[in-house]
Parts: sequence; structure tokens; C-alpha cells
Amino acid sequence: MSSHQTKESSFLGGRIPPEVESMSRYLKDASLTLDQDMFRKILKALASSIEGRDCREVMRRIAESSVIPEEKLSHIVAGMYRVLTEAIRIPTSSLKQEAFKEDLRELRIPEDFITDFASVVFGSRRAALEAVTSERDPHLPTLDELRWRVDVTISTSSLARALQPSVLMQIKLSDGSLQQFEVPVSKFQELRYNVALILKEMNDLEKKSVLKIQD
Amino acid sequence: MASIFKETQSIKEAVAFINAIDVNKFSRLISRIIQKLHLKGERILSEDEELKLQAALSLEKPALTLVLETVSFILEQAVYHNVKPASLQQQLEAVHVSPEKAEVFTQTWATAGPELVDKLRQTVFAPKKLEHIGWQLNLQMAQSSQAKLKDPSAVLQLGLRAEDSEAQENIFVEFSHQELLEFYNKLEIVQGQLDSLT
Repeated sequence: MSSHQTKESSFLGGRIPPEVESMSRYLKDASLTLDQDMFRKILKALASSIEGRDCREVMRRIAESSVIPEEKLSHIVAGMYRVLTEAIRIPTSSLKQEAFKEDLRELRIPEDFITDFASVVFGSRRAALEAVTSERDPHLPTLDELRWRVDVTISTSSLARALQPSVLMQIKLSDGSLQQFEVPVSKFQELRYNVALILKEMNDLEKKSVLKIQD
Repeated sequence: MASIFKETQSIKEAVAFINAIDVNKFSRLISRIIQKLHLKGERILSEDEELKLQAALSLEKPALTLVLETVSFILEQAVYHNVKPASLQQQLEAVHVSPEKAEVFTQTWATAGPELVDKLRQTVFAPKKLEHIGWQLNLQMAQSSQAKLKDPSAVLQLGLRAEDSEAQENIFVEFSHQELLEFYNKLEIVQGQLDSLT
């Protein structure tokens, strides 16, 4: 019995997205004369767009300078965008460059174009692309800046001799909000204890073998 | 120690009324006042309670008000200077408060005083105070832009309350492992400062 070497499904998923299907059809169509230069221009614009820059002007100029009918061009661009975003989603530890190229070869995309795709997905720009897309995902505000002060209250209008230490904190969050509040010493201890506890739990969690499985 | 209150005319009048009050009723009154003393700006007794008290002590409204204000004043001074019960008793008798009433004053002060001083020590002028700390540890598996994560992330809930409000405002802050570690290191520095004070 011969054993089949079944390859895992493509990075694009079990079903190839329709825009990628039509893109690969048009890329193979020699009559469309999409030269590599134009392809690279589009790729560059798409990468900038993923990074968050407005590329409408650039895309418009590309569309104008091309003889390819607009409708077909838009399919190509949509497909290219999908290939890029899907590939960037998967960590490089899971999707290796060779597997990525293999998947694109299965769609019979011309080899030159495959190399260009790979240079964006696995090139130096990858980290920046990941950082920007990750920012847009929902998450609670993170701590931008913490400033603090330790005071000792010597006396107040109610007490001639108070001698009470307290901590004043000012936190600036990633959503722009600024909060200033006093932390009584007992609460401060509670805060410190809890943060240490979470750190310990995080360490324990990261050590668990189930997390070490590479997938 | 120097006397914490002088025998002014109004004190003389108040003392006269105080001495006339039944001792048990007086004891309850003082306990009530000392409980509410740390709440600035709040009435010690409601309108209703004042009327009932007027009847119970057979005091007219101005007289009752004077008694309430004077007792409050004496206690506030006691707190301010953190007087010892024995000293308080002496000073009360010096303004002619009857021995049995002075005794009641002193007893109440001895029991409830330290707690009141402590409560006032904790009151600091600050726009908001941290009252509640809660947290949640999550393991993020994926998000729109990234699949196959295994990122632990913690959410810290800080419950803040403004000085004059009942409502608690919640702030939620998210931390990655590294961010939490940096936060903890900052807290350790603050702790170092606190330690250097003692």
C-alpha cells in the first residue's frame, strides 16, 4: 500500500478565496500583459496600505497607466491583497517560506510573482506589517506611562500630627486618557502583591507543556 | 499639655446644659457624634432625630444646637491634638463639666478615639483614591490580524473613587508579560521609597 503524502491545506485555508482564484487566473493570462514591474508597483502599494498609509492616489495612477481593463485589474489587486494579509496572519514559525511558495505554485502563479510575494511576506518589512495590523485589533488600553510620588502628610486641618505616607500615581493610557489618583499604603501593598501573583501565574502558564506544542 | 479649648461664654453655656442632661442619654449622644465626626459636611443628626432629641432632653432647638456643636468641637480638638483620655478628663473638669459627664466623655474617647484618629489619618486630599483592585489572566489564542498566538495577557481593574462621590470609576489596563514585568519593577522602586521612610 502506497502511503499518500497528504499536504496540509494551503495557508489560504481549505477553500481558496474567490478573489485569489480570479487573481491567479488573470496572472496566468498572457494576453493581459501584466509585467513584473507593474506587479511590483502594486505589491509595494499594497504593503504600504497594510501598514496604514493611504494609497488611493498611487493605485489610481497605476490603474491609469495600465492597459489592463479596470475590472480585471481590481480582481488582481484584491487577490494580491488577500494573499498578503492571510500570509502575514500566520506566524513565521508555522508558515515557512517554502510552504508558502508551494501553496502559491499550486495555484499556478508564475514563479517570478511568487518570489516577489515571498520577499514582502518574509522580508524585512514583515515585523512592521505585523505591528500595524496588530494595533488595529480590539484590545483594552495599555499603560503608556506611569509617574508617581511618595508623600508624607505631616499634618492636616483635622490632625496636628498625621505622619501618614501615601503614594500618588499618574497613569497615561494608550487611549490617551490620563488618570491621577492616590494610593493608600495598604492598597499599594495589595497592588504589588497582586501584580506579583499575576506574574507568577503567567510564568506557570508559559511553562505548561500544552503551550510548547508547535502548530 | 496646653488646654485644647478655652472657657468661652458659649462653652460655659453649653456646659451648663450638658451637666443637666441625663447621663445615659448623654452617653448615647456622644457615641453617636463621635461616629459621624469624620464625615465632613454631613449633618450629625437628621432633622427628625434632632426634633426627637429636643423632646427627649427637654432642650429648645438653640440649646440643643449649642450642645451638639460644643461636643463636636471638643472632640475635634481632642482628635487634632490626639490627647490622652486622662488629659481630656482634666481639661473637661477645668471648664466645669460635672465629673460624671467628664467620665462619660473620657470613656467614649478612650474607646472610639483611636479609630477616629486613624480614619482621619487615612483621609488625604486627592482627586481620586484607589479603592479596588481586580485582575484577570487571559491566554490570547488569536486575533483578526494574527492566528496561532499563545500570548498570556493580564487585565488589571483599578476601581477609583472621587473624594465626594459614591460611584466607583473603573479603569481597565491590559498588560503583556513584558509590560507587566516593567510595571512591577516600577512598583518595586516605589516600595523602596516607602521602606526608606520607616
